[in-house]
Amino acid sequence: MSSQKKKNKVFIEGAINPVFIADSIAKHSSKTGIGAHTIFLGQVRNDVIDGKTVQAIEYSAYNEMAEKEFHKIREDAFAKYELTCMHIYHSLGKVKAGEINMYVFVSSRHRNDAFSACREIIEQIKTNVPIWGKEILDDDTYVWKQNL
Amino acid sequence: MKIKVIAFGYIADILGKDVLELEGISNTDMLKSKLYAKYPNLKRREYKIAVNQQIISEDISLDENSEVVLLPPFAGG
Repeated sequence: MSSQKKKNKVFIEGAINPVFIADSIAKHSSKTGIGAHTIFLGQVRNDVIDGKTVQAIEYSAYNEMAEKEFHKIREDAFAKYELTCMHIYHSLGKVKAGEINMYVFVSSRHRNDAFSACREIIEQIKTNVPIWGKEILDDDTYVWKQNL
Repeated sequence: MKIKVIAFGYIADILGKDVLELEGISNTDMLKSKLYAKYPNLKRREYKIAVNQQIISEDISLDENSEVVLLPPFAGG
């Protein structure tokens, strides 16, 4: 696998490990032009649906289209904001309540671009990327997650 | 002509499978009527059709190489 391809890998099987997040922050210490990082972490919430509690979300995606959409979100963010770098990670498969399922990491010289871009990227992921989540309940039934 | 249709999320639940092969379909309007005839519950559910990874907004023609995918509302993040 080429390093370029590796760089654009968004999907991670299962939960995103906080150690991976810490490591990726540490890797940016060599990029000394950065003055601001914004990080958004999505965590699986134990919603109660008709008296049943969400134990986990099992994510699936239409991969080929999702990768295209992620690429577009990335290009748009770089075109619109002054960013040094950005990374998007999203889980596929099962992620338990309390675990991290999405990690957006945006770096810029100054906070305004980092904040605005991060917010916009998250909204675009929710609206444009073909990902679905099966909310697994405590009686082993499931419902399909809806984004509000 | 045989068209392969892939379904995700609750649409796959309604169809009872992820992949479907349909005969005698040459455009997306025909696809919809065939699906509604076979799966009447589908008519009441929200979904979009992507052809070759592009969400379509009007009837377009299909051939056996078309990648046809039924997409329920996205729920990432």
